[in-house]
Amino acid sequence: MTAFLALVAETLREIPRRPYRPSEFFKQLHFVANQSVPMVIFCVCFAAMVTILESSFHMKIVIQNDSMVPGFAAMLILRELAVVVTALLMTSRVGAGLAAEVGTMAITEQIDALKMLGIRPVQYLVVPRLLACVIGMVMLGIIANITCLVAAMWVSDFYLGFAPGTFITSMNRFVGMSDFLGALVKAACFGFIIPLVSCYFGFNCEKGAEGVGRATTKSVVASSVAILVVDFLLAYLFSILKA
Amino acid sequence: MKIVNEIGRTLQFFFLIMETMIRRPCARREVFVQIWKVTEQSFLTTGMAGFFVGAIMTVQFTLQMKEFGALGFLGGLATSGTIREVGPLLIAFMLAGKVGAYTSAELGTMRVTEQIDAIRCLGADPIQEIILPRFLGIIVASFFLLGLGLMMSIGGGMLMGALFAGVNAEEYVRHIPTIVTSVSVVSGLIKCFVFALLLATVCTYKGYSATGGAKGVGLAVVGTAVTTMVGIVVADWLTSFIGESVLRAAGVY
Repeated sequence: MTAFLALVAETLREIPRRPYRPSEFFKQLHFVANQSVPMVIFCVCFAAMVTILESSFHMKIVIQNDSMVPGFAAMLILRELAVVVTALLMTSRVGAGLAAEVGTMAITEQIDALKMLGIRPVQYLVVPRLLACVIGMVMLGIIANITCLVAAMWVSDFYLGFAPGTFITSMNRFVGMSDFLGALVKAACFGFIIPLVSCYFGFNCEKGAEGVGRATTKSVVASSVAILVVDFLLAYLFSILKA
Repeated sequence: MKIVNEIGRTLQFFFLIMETMIRRPCARREVFVQIWKVTEQSFLTTGMAGFFVGAIMTVQFTLQMKEFGALGFLGGLATSGTIREVGPLLIAFMLAGKVGAYTSAELGTMRVTEQIDAIRCLGADPIQEIILPRFLGIIVASFFLLGLGLMMSIGGGMLMGALFAGVNAEEYVRHIPTIVTSVSVVSGLIKCFVFALLLATVCTYKGYSATGGAKGVGLAVVGTAVTTMVGIVVADWLTSFIGESVLRAAGVY
């Protein structure tokens, strides 16, 4: 844990220091954001459709009336679903990829080679990935939220019988701009966790091909749990701020 | 087209496993070993994840239920949401990251170091000897983990309900039996089974068909994680819609 915090501190220290590596940053951003868009849109659409069905089911039980369903579903989507599902998808795609990449570099002694050449590995490897993940996650968060809402609106139109107009009216009652901004803050936090955890496990990879596999597994699990914990903390914080 | 091809191969592999299971059952002992291994590997992660999910759901539902003046339903709602939807989904995600990745790495390493060919040379069937126990182990263990995750999420919800919403434990559990019906429990179990089936098939298939050295193993691991997560979300949607339609047709609600 202390070693992980040391890596975080060192990364933060390295962010403002020269040389900046814009081309590396854009390459990573392309990998994190552009290449993930189809997968994120696809998954989040299905998740949103299920959410609205489930909210309708529960609403009918509790208040025998599902007229609030669109608003309720929209709230769940904006506050939790879209960003968390996106972040969990990103841990498996980006996080696993990063851990494997950095781990392979560690066991083939490429990281030592970097040090020999006078290049600081954290500055060379972690900083561009961190910035790309934070910015990429915010972009993906916006896309995921909009896709989710559209998918939910569509399902509620043809399955539950709420016209899009009703959906938007009901949504306005429950959610506001602050929920959307909160979602983006969450996305940025998740984008901060994923590369740091994966790079940490990558740097501390054990020797051999098996070590890389183990580092990948550990990084996916650790970042998924960390995402849930941070999600809880932020949800708690936001709800206190609101109340 | 590549995706369609890959789905077809996975299905083919699934039917091969089914066929082997019917014709040549594997050693029962080995299945128990695998069940224990999966449970032991992931009970801590699943428990922790369950706890925090229960807490998150309670925090989110509180604001909502306050508006309707129905805070008493908090426990029932959070528990029902967990057993029907979030629980199975989450267990599957956690297992995909841990057990799925581990299994495909293990099988992939066996493949690229030609241990699988060696098994075949010795006259044994690798599907029967190494794939089937893992496959069954993941499916059985996922039910244990679902139970554990659910218990932990009720615990997390109760704690947050008491701290945040002022709903004490007794009030929290009071409405659980009225909202969580047997239909919900069965649908949660079906979902869990479907997700486990999907995960077990994909991770054994990806590992078994890995090619090209250490890099191939790495690709198999990442492929497993991504495929199962996408597959699970789609399967979730399918089971929800089909279940809903069947129940409506049967007149349950």
